[in-house]
Amino acid sequence: MPELGSYRSRILAGTIASAALGVLGFSTIGFGAAVVGESRKAEITQKAPSSLDALKAQYRRPASIPFPKDNPYTPDKAALGKKLYFDTRLSVSSAQSCASCHSPGFGWGDGLAVGVGHGMAKLGRHSPTIVNAAWSAIFMWDGRLPTLEDQALGPIQSPGEMNMKLDDLMARLASIPEYKPMFDASFPGQGMTAKALAQAIATYERTVVSERAPFDAWIEGNEKAIPEAAKRGFAVFNGKAQCAACHEGWNFTNEGFQDIGLPSTDIGRGEYLPGVIKMQHAFKTPGLREINRRSPFMHDGSLATLEAVIDHYDHGGVDRPSRSDLMRPLGLTAQEKADLVAFLKTLTSELEPTAVPVLPR
Amino acid sequence: MRTIALFTCVIVAGFSVGAYAATEVIHQQGRAFSSETISVKKGEAVTFLNDDTVPHNIMSASKGNEFNLGSQAPGTSTDVTFKEAGDVQVICAIHPRMKMMVKVTD
Ligand SMILES: [Cu+2]
Repeated sequence: MPELGSYRSRILAGTIASAALGVLGFSTIGFGAAVVGESRKAEITQKAPSSLDALKAQYRRPASIPFPKDNPYTPDKAALGKKLYFDTRLSVSSAQSCASCHSPGFGWGDGLAVGVGHGMAKLGRHSPTIVNAAWSAIFMWDGRLPTLEDQALGPIQSPGEMNMKLDDLMARLASIPEYKPMFDASFPGQGMTAKALAQAIATYERTVVSERAPFDAWIEGNEKAIPEAAKRGFAVFNGKAQCAACHEGWNFTNEGFQDIGLPSTDIGRGEYLPGVIKMQHAFKTPGLREINRRSPFMHDGSLATLEAVIDHYDHGGVDRPSRSDLMRPLGLTAQEKADLVAFLKTLTSELEPTAVPVLPR
Repeated sequence: MRTIALFTCVIVAGFSVGAYAATEVIHQQGRAFSSETISVKKGEAVTFLNDDTVPHNIMSASKGNEFNLGSQAPGTSTDVTFKEAGDVQVICAIHPRMKMMVKVTD
């Protein structure tokens, strides 16, 4: 048996090592491998089942926005970032800004099934919201970018999206007189660089936070803040439907990657980890804040309504080796499904209108 | 004769693996490893115990110590024996916040 285990782990390791190139930063492939023993059943001591109050405490809003040490918040930088975010001159056609696909009007998405890029061509995936991106651990549906700063530069340069070369972009921005003093104020002594541009946009994006929703008032003790159906839905969400296994915490995501069995040929994270079965067709779990404003849903925008999403999970999706072990038919009743929808609706805040900035000329 | 030789080989391998006592147990409750960094001697096993409520996919692409436990169900444990000295970055492919380092010494 140990022979078999060792052999199997070697085969897997070879594929993983090649898969990890670029993702985990290894430039060479080793021939050795760790020895993996047989899997055993184990006695485990789970913490006692949480009381409702303990459970609710896990969903409490954070008090402040986290900013990275190497790109701290300043008001100037966030203001510059906001102008850049809404500036269509960041695209080669001068027709698209970040806000084209991540618009405050659509819960910071675009309301389309899949995004529209350069030349009005359809993109492969649904534009994700940027709400609460400050709390993200990894970016893009397939997790290929490690920071929000990297993410900011991705769509700008992508030929299918804004199609803008960074050198050309910085030259174009330098030709707009009002930008230079703003860069100087935000990044003293650094000049107008692509790095500064990315830092400014990311800083603005981190300030895009979902506001208090009825759910938050309930979590903090106001029993009248949400309907009884939503409270039942919260129990189903954390219990029978197991939604909270992935949609956990105040922003309703643990940033994990799962194949939830959507019938799509897109392999998602599998492109970066080809040897890892469970990453085939796996996509990042999105948060659920402002969910009412974000239809259609899923990485491919294939489900139009929250009811359709819940039916998908209830059904369990396409059974294939990569499908998450958490996906299986749930046997939800019509009442439970309706309660889940009622609960999800309590996660949408009264978002204050976002003023479009006056752009530098 | 060939069969006997093969048989002996398996026995020996069996004993040698059996002799790797797991000195460290890494728990996975709450989508987190119980340690950020541990140190083990080359040839010693680390037990990865899924005592969480969801499956994890613990793996490493560190040269010489690559492994992939696949989808590890809650309530199961697996021993991994590291063969090369060096730092082994261990991750969960499912949960990007789960990262730890196993320092393998000679
Ligand atoms: Cu995990």
